[in-house]
Amino acid sequence: MFTYALRRMLWAMPTMLGVITACYLLLHATPGGPFDSEKQLSAATLANLDAKYHLSEPLWRQYLLYLNALIHGDLGASYRYVDWSVNDLVAKALPVSVGVGGASIPIALILGVSLGVAAAVRRDRWIDRFVMLLGNSGNVVPPFVLGPVLVWIFAIMLKTREGHGWLPAGGWGDGAWSHRLLPIALLVLINVSTIARVMRASMIDVLGSPFIRTARAKGLPPRIVVWRHALKPALMPVVSLLGAISISSITSAVVTESVFSLPGLGQLVVNGAINRDYTLVLGIVVLTTVAAVLFNLFVDLAYALLDPRIRY
Amino acid sequence: MKASQGLAAALIAFVLTFSHSTFAVLVPAGIKLAAVQEITRQLPAEIESVDPAHIESWAANTVGLDIFEGLTRIDATGAIVPGVAQSWTRTGPDTWRFKLREDARWSDGRAVTADDFVYAWRRVVDPQTGSKYTILAEFVKNGKAIVAGRAAPAQLGVTAIDAHTLEVRTEAPAAFFPELAAMATMAPIPRHVVERERDGWTKAAHFVGNGAYLLADWQPNNRIVLLKNGRYWNASQVEIAKVTYVPIEDDTTALRMYEAGQFDYTYRIPSGLHGQVAQRYGNELRAGMQIATYYYSLDNRDPAFKDKRVRQALSMVLDRDLLTKRLLQAGEAPMYGLIAHGTKGASPFMPDWASWPMSKRVDYARELMRQAGYTDARPLTFTLTYNTNDLHKKVALFAMSEWRSKLGVQTKLENVEFKVLLRERHEGRIQASRDGWFVDYNDAMSYFDVLRCGSIQNDQHYCNPKVDEWVARANEQLDAAARTALLTRAHALAMEDYPMVPLFQYSADRLVKGYVGGYSPLNYVDQRASQDLYIVAH
Repeated sequence: MFTYALRRMLWAMPTMLGVITACYLLLHATPGGPFDSEKQLSAATLANLDAKYHLSEPLWRQYLLYLNALIHGDLGASYRYVDWSVNDLVAKALPVSVGVGGASIPIALILGVSLGVAAAVRRDRWIDRFVMLLGNSGNVVPPFVLGPVLVWIFAIMLKTREGHGWLPAGGWGDGAWSHRLLPIALLVLINVSTIARVMRASMIDVLGSPFIRTARAKGLPPRIVVWRHALKPALMPVVSLLGAISISSITSAVVTESVFSLPGLGQLVVNGAINRDYTLVLGIVVLTTVAAVLFNLFVDLAYALLDPRIRY
Repeated sequence: MKASQGLAAALIAFVLTFSHSTFAVLVPAGIKLAAVQEITRQLPAEIESVDPAHIESWAANTVGLDIFEGLTRIDATGAIVPGVAQSWTRTGPDTWRFKLREDARWSDGRAVTADDFVYAWRRVVDPQTGSKYTILAEFVKNGKAIVAGRAAPAQLGVTAIDAHTLEVRTEAPAAFFPELAAMATMAPIPRHVVERERDGWTKAAHFVGNGAYLLADWQPNNRIVLLKNGRYWNASQVEIAKVTYVPIEDDTTALRMYEAGQFDYTYRIPSGLHGQVAQRYGNELRAGMQIATYYYSLDNRDPAFKDKRVRQALSMVLDRDLLTKRLLQAGEAPMYGLIAHGTKGASPFMPDWASWPMSKRVDYARELMRQAGYTDARPLTFTLTYNTNDLHKKVALFAMSEWRSKLGVQTKLENVEFKVLLRERHEGRIQASRDGWFVDYNDAMSYFDVLRCGSIQNDQHYCNPKVDEWVARANEQLDAAARTALLTRAHALAMEDYPMVPLFQYSADRLVKGYVGGYSPLNYVDQRASQDLYIVAH
C-alpha cells in the first residue's frame, strides 16, 4: 500500500505542473492587470512596479522564476496585500476554511449516512419521504439563499436581552464557536442532502443483494444485518463522494465564506481573482490541487479497507 | 523686473502663518460618556497595507490616519488642523515651512522629528519602494523625476532645517499642500524601526506609529484592532480606547451584522435598501455627501462624440432629479458639472438649461442633434460600457431609456468585469463608459486631473488649452478668493465643452449607532478619525 501511495504521489507531480501551468497562462491571459485602477498609474510608477514584481521579464522567465520559488516553498509576494506574502495569507486563511469545512464533513457524514440508512430500511415511510425531500431541497436551494435565511433566523430574528443577535451574522472575530456555527450548519445542510440521497440508494441496492438475503435467512436480527453486513459495502459510493465533497468544501467556500464574510481561502481566492493578484490565486490553486490529490488518494486507500476484494 | 518686484511684494504681504489650537474630541457639555469606550467600524475591503508608502485606498487611508499622523490632520468636520506640525507658513508660492511640535512622540517614546518626514517622503518616491500611490508625493519638487528614475531620492524638495522645522518646496504652486500633508501617504515613518525590521515593520508585534492608536492585531480579511496610544501628544483628549475595523465587502452582510449588533459604524447602504433602512433606523442613518462624482465618460475622439452638440444633447435630456430622487434614492445630489459640492477651491457648475422645463430641454437637444446630422431616420448609435454592479446597471438602463425616448438614440449596453473596463477605458477602446472620481484631497485641483490636456486620468481625451492656462494662472494666485474665481471659471469653461456627462454626487450616508458621538455630516472627504469619536452612555 505504501508503494502504491508513493507511486500515486509521484504521478501527481505532472498533474500539478499541468494545473499550475494552465492556471498561470489563463491568469496572464485574462484582460486587466494587477495595477489597473480607477486612477491610472503613471508610466514611471508602472515601470517601477513591473520591475519590483518581475513583470517586465518575458512570460516564460516569470514562469520559471515562479516555479523555482515554488519548489523552495515560496508562494511569492501578493501584488495587492503588500504587507503579507502569499504564504502568510494562505497560512492565516487555511485554518478558517479547514475549521469550517473540516467540522462540517464529519457531521454531514454521520447525519447523511444515518438518514440514508433509515430511509432505505423504512422505504416509503415518512422518514424516507423526509430524506427524499431533504435531498431534493438541498439540491435546489442554493447556499446563497439558505445562508441568509439562517442568518435572518439566528442573528436577526432571535435576539438576546441586550438586543444582539443569538449568533453573529458574519465575520470570524477570534474564531469562537458562535462565529463558526452558522457556516458549519450551512455546509452540513448542503452536504447532508447529497450524502443521504446517495446512501439511501446504495443501501437499497445492497439490501437486495443475495448475501443479505442469506444473512436474513440465517435469522440474524435486522439491526445486525443492516449495520454489520450491509453498511460497509453500502458506504462505497459515499466514500467516493467524500473525496469530491472534501474538495468542494474548499471550492464551495467561495460562496459560504462570502455569505458569512469569513476570512478563509474562498474569500481570498475571490479577492485574488478580482484584483488580478496572480500569485495569490496561484498559491490557492496549488494548495487546492495538493488537497485534491491527497483526498483522492485517501479515498482509494479507504476502498481497500472497506472492500476485501481491493488490494494495492 | 517689475513683475518680480510685484510678486515679492505680494509674497511679503501674503506670508501666511496657520496656527490653530486643536482638540481631538469636543464632547459637548452635559454628555455622559460610557465607561467602555470601544467602537467597531466596517471597512469596505481588506486594506492593502498599513505602510504609508503603500497606502492607496480609502479604507487603508482611514486606518492609516488612526495609527499615523502627518503634518496636518483632518478633523471631525473635514477641516485641516495641525497634526505633528503646530503651525505652518507659506513663505513663497511654492515653499512651505512647517514648525513641528516638540511633544510629538513615536509609540516607543522617541521624538518625531523633521528627518522622519524627509525619510518617509523620499521612500514613497524611491523607485525601489515600488509605491503605487505616488501622486501626492509627486507634488513635492523633483518627486516626479525621482519616481521616473531621473533624479535621486535625496533631491526631493523637502529639507529638515532642524529637528522641528521642515521646509517643503513644491513642483508648482500648491495652495492646497496642507490638505495633501494630512493624508496617510505623507505621514512620517519611524526610520529606526523600518531599517531594523525591514518588511516586518508593519506587523503588530514590531509596529511603531505616531498616531492616536497603535496597531495591536491584524488578521487579514478578518479584523484590525487598534488600541489607544498613550504616547500620542494629544492622548488626554482621545476618548475611544479600542477600535476594531472589520473588512466586509458585501454591503448586505454588513447591514445584517449591524442589525445583529456587530457594528457601531457601517460603510455603504446596500443599493435599493436606502428607504427601508431610513425608515427602520431613523437618526442612526447619518446623512452626508462626499466629494465624489458619478459621470459617463465619453471618448471625445470617437466619431460619435466628436461633435460637442451631441455631447451637450446627451447631457441635457437626462433627468437627474428623477434619477437621484426616484430611482437611486440614496441621498445622491444631481450634478451638471464635474466638481462636487463641498470641494475647496472652486464652485460647482450649473448650466442655464438645468432650470428649464424638461420639454424645453428636449426640444433644444433634438435641435442640437439635428444640427449634428442625427435624425429619427439616422439615429446616433453607440455602446455604453459599465462594470457589473447593481447601481451601474440601474443608471445605465435609465440613461439608455432617456436617450432613446427623448432623442431616439440607440444605445447598446455592455457590462464587463471591473478590471476589464479599466484596462479598455485607459487604452481608449471604449466609446462611453461608467466613470467616477473620488478626490485624493479636498481641492478643485484634484478634479482638473480628469480635464487637463494629456493627463493620464483624462479618459475622455478632452483638451482645451484655455482651461489649462486658467488653471495654471489660478495656481500662481496667492489670494484664495482670486484662485477660486479662476478655477471656477476654468471648470465652467470645460463643462461648456461637455467633455463628459456628469450625473450625480455620491452621498456618504452611513449607519452609525445613536450612542456614537463626534460624527459630523460636514466631513466631505469622508475621513473620520476614530480619535474624533466618543461613546455616549447608553
